[in-house]
Amino acid sequence: MYTIISPRLGTPGDQFIPEEGVNIDALLDGGLISTDTAKKSSKVKSEPKEQ
Amino acid sequence: MAISSTYLSNPSITINAVDLSDQCTSAVINYVSEQLENTTFSNTSRSFTSGLYSNTVTVTLYQSYAATETEASIYSLVGTTTTLVLKPTSSAVGATNPSYTLTGAFLSAHTPINASLGELSTIDLTFSGGVLTKAVA
Repeated sequence: MYTIISPRLGTPGDQFIPEEGVNIDALLDGGLISTDTAKKSSKVKSEPKEQ
Repeated sequence: MAISSTYLSNPSITINAVDLSDQCTSAVINYVSEQLENTTFSNTSRSFTSGLYSNTVTVTLYQSYAATETEASIYSLVGTTTTLVLKPTSSAVGATNPSYTLTGAFLSAHTPINASLGELSTIDLTFSGGVLTKAVA
């Protein structure tokens, strides 16, 4: 999954779906797209309280 | 006499999916089939047949080192293959505005600095090889 950074590729923030033959590494190197990283929940599960 | 000619007023070009139309001043597609001679004793004129296709696209772009501009789009393509899409105008693809796609084109060279005093910096790129397809819809 990639996200558009440059308006030359589309709307910034939208998902970038590469077509056949597109060099993804070059787009990443140039900062034109970014790799999506799964966001981790900031919540920390607490241990269940003993009753 | 009816004349139908085209001068490019607002052509469209994408290199590796990046729209660089507003940096491009020249684009040439060379759609070339190598000719292989197949003349025999039975012929009175030379005869040829098609060999491998050897396509190239040559473009001239204004150089820009700003974020996500020309240099950022081109530099990492050297030594790799990519796809280019060119159209006579930026309008929708159709019979009078065909789209030409060169897939698997190799960029062997780039001149990151190509500047003269008092002039805008430009770069000339030649993408070689690949399969050229034409779309009219």
